[in-house]
Amino acid sequence: MKGIIKKIDRINFGLMSPEQIREMSVVKIERPDTYDEDGYPIESGLMDSRLGVIDPSLKCRTCGEKGGECQGHFGMIELARPVIHVGFGDDIHKILRSTCTECGRVLLDDDEIEEFTEKMEELQEAGESVEDLVKDVYKICKDKKTKEVCPHCGAEQEDIKIVKPIDIIEVRKQYDENGELMTEEDGTPLTEDYDLTASEVREKLQRIPDEDAYVLGVNPEVARPEWMVLTVLPVPPVTVRPSITLDTGERSEDDLTHKLVDILRINQRLIENMDAGAPQLIVEDLWKLLQYHVTTYFDNEASGVPPARHRSGRPLKTLAQRLKGKEGRFRSNLSGKRVNFSARTVISPDPNISINEVGVPEMIAKEVTVPTYVNEWNIEELKEAILNGPNVHPGANYVKKTINGKEMKVRVLDDNRELVVENLEYGDVVMRHLKDGDIVLFNRQPSLHRMSMMAHEVRVLPYKTFRLNLCVCPPYNADFDGDEMNMHVFQTDESRAEAKSLMRVQEHILSPRFGGPIIGAIHDHISGAYLLTRDGFTVREDDAFQMIRKSHLLNNEYVDKKHLKRKNRDWTGKELFSLLLPDDLNMNYKAEICRKCETCLKEDCQYDAFVVIKDGQLTHGAIDEAAYGSFSGKILDTIVKEYGPSRAKEFLDRSTDLAICGIMKTGITTGTNDEEIPEEAIEVIDAHLDKAEQEVDKLIATYEEGLLQPLPGRSAEETLEMRIVQVLGEARDTAGEIAEGYLTMGKQSQDDSYDYVMAVENHSVVMARTGARASMLNLTQITACVGQQAVRGGRIERGYINRTLPHFKKGELGAKAKGFVHSSYKSGLDPIEFFFHAMGGREGLVDTAVRTSRSGYMQRRLVSALEDLKLTADGSIRNTADTIIQFRYGEDGTDPTRSVGGKVIDMDDLFTEVLGDDADALLRLDSRDVGEDYGSREKDEMEYFEEENSDYESETEYESE
Amino acid sequence: MAKKDTFNALVTRGVETSVADELLTKFSTLKSISEAGVEGLMEIGLSEEVANDVITKVGKRASRSTAKKKAEEVEVVHMEIVSNKHHEYSDEEKKLLAMEEELGIKLPLKVIVDIASRLEGADISDEKCRELLTVADRMYQSHRMDPHESAGVMAAHSLGEPGTQMNMRTFHFSGVANILTTQGLPRLIEIVDARRIPSTPSMDIPLKGLAAEDEKVARLVSYEIETTSLLNIATVETDITNMRMIIHPDQRKMDERGVTMADIIERLNKVKALRGLVSSDDFEITVTSDEPSFKKLQVISDAVKNAKIKGIDGISRAVLTKDRDDRWKIITEGSNLKEVLKVDGVNNEKTMTNSILEVADVLGIEAARNAIIREAFGTLSEAGLNVDIRHIMLVADLMTNDGYVKAIGRHGISGRKSSVLARAAFEITAPHLLHAAMNGEVDHLEGVAENIIVGQPVTLGTGAVNLIYTPKKGDE
Ligand SMILES: [Mg+2]
Ligand SMILES: [Zn+2]
Ligand SMILES: [Zn+2]
Ligand SMILES: [Zn+2]
Repeated sequence: MKGIIKKIDRINFGLMSPEQIREMSVVKIERPDTYDEDGYPIESGLMDSRLGVIDPSLKCRTCGEKGGECQGHFGMIELARPVIHVGFGDDIHKILRSTCTECGRVLLDDDEIEEFTEKMEELQEAGESVEDLVKDVYKICKDKKTKEVCPHCGAEQEDIKIVKPIDIIEVRKQYDENGELMTEEDGTPLTEDYDLTASEVREKLQRIPDEDAYVLGVNPEVARPEWMVLTVLPVPPVTVRPSITLDTGERSEDDLTHKLVDILRINQRLIENMDAGAPQLIVEDLWKLLQYHVTTYFDNEASGVPPARHRSGRPLKTLAQRLKGKEGRFRSNLSGKRVNFSARTVISPDPNISINEVGVPEMIAKEVTVPTYVNEWNIEELKEAILNGPNVHPGANYVKKTINGKEMKVRVLDDNRELVVENLEYGDVVMRHLKDGDIVLFNRQPSLHRMSMMAHEVRVLPYKTFRLNLCVCPPYNADFDGDEMNMHVFQTDESRAEAKSLMRVQEHILSPRFGGPIIGAIHDHISGAYLLTRDGFTVREDDAFQMIRKSHLLNNEYVDKKHLKRKNRDWTGKELFSLLLPDDLNMNYKAEICRKCETCLKEDCQYDAFVVIKDGQLTHGAIDEAAYGSFSGKILDTIVKEYGPSRAKEFLDRSTDLAICGIMKTGITTGTNDEEIPEEAIEVIDAHLDKAEQEVDKLIATYEEGLLQPLPGRSAEETLEMRIVQVLGEARDTAGEIAEGYLTMGKQSQDDSYDYVMAVENHSVVMARTGARASMLNLTQITACVGQQAVRGGRIERGYINRTLPHFKKGELGAKAKGFVHSSYKSGLDPIEFFFHAMGGREGLVDTAVRTSRSGYMQRRLVSALEDLKLTADGSIRNTADTIIQFRYGEDGTDPTRSVGGKVIDMDDLFTEVLGDDADALLRLDSRDVGEDYGSREKDEMEYFEEENSDYESETEYESE
Repeated sequence: MAKKDTFNALVTRGVETSVADELLTKFSTLKSISEAGVEGLMEIGLSEEVANDVITKVGKRASRSTAKKKAEEVEVVHMEIVSNKHHEYSDEEKKLLAMEEELGIKLPLKVIVDIASRLEGADISDEKCRELLTVADRMYQSHRMDPHESAGVMAAHSLGEPGTQMNMRTFHFSGVANILTTQGLPRLIEIVDARRIPSTPSMDIPLKGLAAEDEKVARLVSYEIETTSLLNIATVETDITNMRMIIHPDQRKMDERGVTMADIIERLNKVKALRGLVSSDDFEITVTSDEPSFKKLQVISDAVKNAKIKGIDGISRAVLTKDRDDRWKIITEGSNLKEVLKVDGVNNEKTMTNSILEVADVLGIEAARNAIIREAFGTLSEAGLNVDIRHIMLVADLMTNDGYVKAIGRHGISGRKSSVLARAAFEITAPHLLHAAMNGEVDHLEGVAENIIVGQPVTLGTGAVNLIYTPKKGDE
């Protein structure tokens, strides 16, 4: 039956008794061979066809099914002598150490047994682990084992040791002929180690009564202690260890089969020798060998056991290795599964599609299909698709029909299309090609957060790459230097509906991490919007209409026709941008280009950095990263929260269109000319840096004379180092500031008198100041001075003995000798500086490599620890055991995604809504988190503050990409 | 347990057989006897004397778990309650709280406080106030998290994803004090690991009273905290010919740190290797070796040089700096919260250490929870990353949920999950499966990992609810 998910309620774990193994077994395997000369499975061999078959041409002798249908059946090997199961070596040791040498009872008195039993039963009922209690039992008994007699039979105890992983040793006290305990001189009893054989271990375990086994951690309902020593070995079906035929026609057996052959061989030999009455020594050797093979069959990485190897020297992959680790069954096949209907290719940008869309190459669209039920509304379309066949785009690959209750899958081929179309009826399922508007999942690894996997609408496009809108690069952390992404096509209507309402890109504009937009404008969108909306930008009216048309604002449901009337004058960029804004939007904030002046002039800001939006009209301020950039877009944030994701999606799509129009109108260009400053400025900078270097020399001289006053709690050397770093840091900053003075975006205002020839339009600075790309630090490093290079958080130390390079004297401490780069990138680094710069750069790369693995593991642990926590209907957070972790989520139940920059509600909105104009007096626009980033709020409440120490950090910072 | 065993147990404990018989008519276990108490035993007709006797004998277990004994012996630290501050409601707030109750809504306290602070001094009618609360409630309700939301995964992602953007090696000087502290990703990992001792333990100790104002007093407090070794206040010379160490104390430095000769001698005598070897006159202290061996002299020399004269164990450095309000505070290298809190002049309400386990030991689990939040939030903000505090709170609450600090990972939460499959999928796969078999564990498939493994919908979000649609009669 379709639509009903078969529910597994629970899984019980337990040990198998020898009887169960025998009962389950369909064949007793005795011959250590696989196939005979003709390639047929040997009877009672490891490939016996009663164990199931893989070859579809053969039939299983147990269930009669063909290969591929038969699940396989277990066989068994009767072991000539018992062997210990490696996985339980430790437990056997602990159990024997906790039980009486004579009677096998646990070394607890009856009260204790009862007490522990009660407690354990309680825990077991509550579904909790009894492990801690069992550990307690082991601990109590371990103490008693050597010091006391058995509380049940009064027997003297012999201690038990273990040599990992499976050698159980009894430490026997020595008695003389008279039965007197023999002791060392100091009174400690004389002992002798006796290796217990697996049979003896098994006998000892057998003596433990069920009630005692329970407190020792062996649940008698599903396990007996002696079952941890194997007498019969289950042989997994062939399907578990299929042999593969190489290209040469040679058969290659699975590692498990190899191991089982070894076990069988030794087992046979052991039987033969025992039957022949061979000397005890030989039997014991063979027994040990059998134990070795069974041990490595279970775990080939057990400590203290040399791993069994293939002829080539490669260690065999046996049972434990199959399960363990990243490539093991659990993490590789069970927690993550390979799927059909998925595709992967290189990604490339497309600013002309919506953020909700993904461009899918036609080639992929023809391969991954959507199962569609035929009904009266789509039958014509689907017939058309079938007629197109599998090779023409809106086509179909298969048709599923149910005839007489049997499902049939018909492949659409050139010669059967007509026939298939003729027979097509309601209820059939057509596997049609992916077409525009289908919902698919799109994903980029590493999938670090939920925005790494979002639902997109398909746009089938030519060529061979996936196309995506640039605004969705930040959540995927994607760029186009060869990144590849995956696409998955939904196969049911339920999943499609769920994805559309929960996983669509527009639903993820806000990040749950900080409650602000993570999808937003980047790079040219930002510089474009700035160039368009800054003061002084105007376009002729017909050009303006062209831009409106190109940005799809003409017949747009959200743009009121009244704004699109002719003005019979030039349009300003702000007027154009205002078309995108909802008519009732009111807000003001400080833009990214704000220079954080002492007193903000607000509307009169000379940089046009105070943004005022009144009734949907942008009256003051330029649009930049702070408006609609990813991570910080305030307008975008407001629109998602107030007008919903659909409106926000439209705003983002259209505003980026408009920004591109803007940037195409003004043009943008950058080159090293942008980092040009006048000769006299360079001189001033050089003088500054020279002065700083002299100051450093002076400090060194003072230090060498021993006159340097050490900082409290620091040695003179450390103090000197800190002072030097500080002086050089300040010097670089001053150099940067001087250069910044010349690096302006161009003529800032009408009365801006500065007319340095290169600075008329400086797009590098535009990009840095608006937040589009790069920073002023980058620019000043190009223009003025690169600054101190750091390795391991300090000046460069390593290299030759007492010096960094042979160009310096031993023990030289000066600026240059320890990695200060005086030059700018533009003027070029000298070889020594270049070398130090490369050192710093290398550290950055190593750092990135180490970081990815470390943070990846941290996240895996976090997810594993937190994945089961959910908000229950009563507002509490609980885990699967129904333990309350939080009584109210986050202390106020607020969803971080929906919070207002972390706050529960927006106070200003509240007061405006209730009090209307009266509220103005109570609004705190000034003190509002204007210009501040999201998430920095609770600080005061937490009484947390940490003084900033930016001097040192800022220029040792190495931006790595 | 069979009654016979109980009978034997009673007899071995020295209870008369007749009394034991009588006891067994009503009770079947020793536990139930001891639980019944003297009164309970007297009810079945025993005299008070006998009952008392039985109780003491039964109470005395032949042997008790050593672990339990230890637990009882753990020293109980009774700390004076240093602060009992809670929010004092202003009149405005009280008014709003009353209105809230009357309207039958429940807003977070923070919202009420914020509204009240704006209403302060403004002339707003009660009617409008009520409306404010109603609208605030409407807004609050729309901002609440939906039931069955996977809050845990959201928190894990929100903390893990920024990890990739953090710096690996960011030692950071906290303030002007030049004290190195680990920051960035290594610090975040350290916090979720619940490491017993952080890689750079450090304390932040605001001072109070005169110490906060006067540098001299503050310095004295810092000398109480900072470890003063002998070498800080004296020069030491080794006299090989006479097999002795001569210590020349520097009176100026001693005065500065408030150490007297007697203190030094007392301290030196407390050192095991030096006991009985110390002698002194007014200006010098001599430690003479009692054996003519250079090896012994070396031992003595090391012991003398490392001798701690004053200060708190574990605190190698204490640096005075000013806080934002221009009051003195101490920042330390090394941490010992318990001892620092006892020092006079320390503002122990505000004293903090970055060692979370220490906070848990000294101030309790709730304080540890706040310490985790403070440290994790601080580390993330320091790196310039915005992470909503609610995510961090959830991690902190999960780590401290059991009353002690559990790590995120194999040794902590992940290793203690109730699901066998989830544990096996995380780490140490084979032993988890084998133990589950031995213990007869049952996996009820309630969590995420195990349901993915068996191929079922998970129990979060849309997987947590069932939707049943019954078509109307006519539709069929
Ligand atoms: Mg890339
Ligand atoms: Zn079969
Ligand atoms: Zn016994
Ligand atoms: Zn300004």
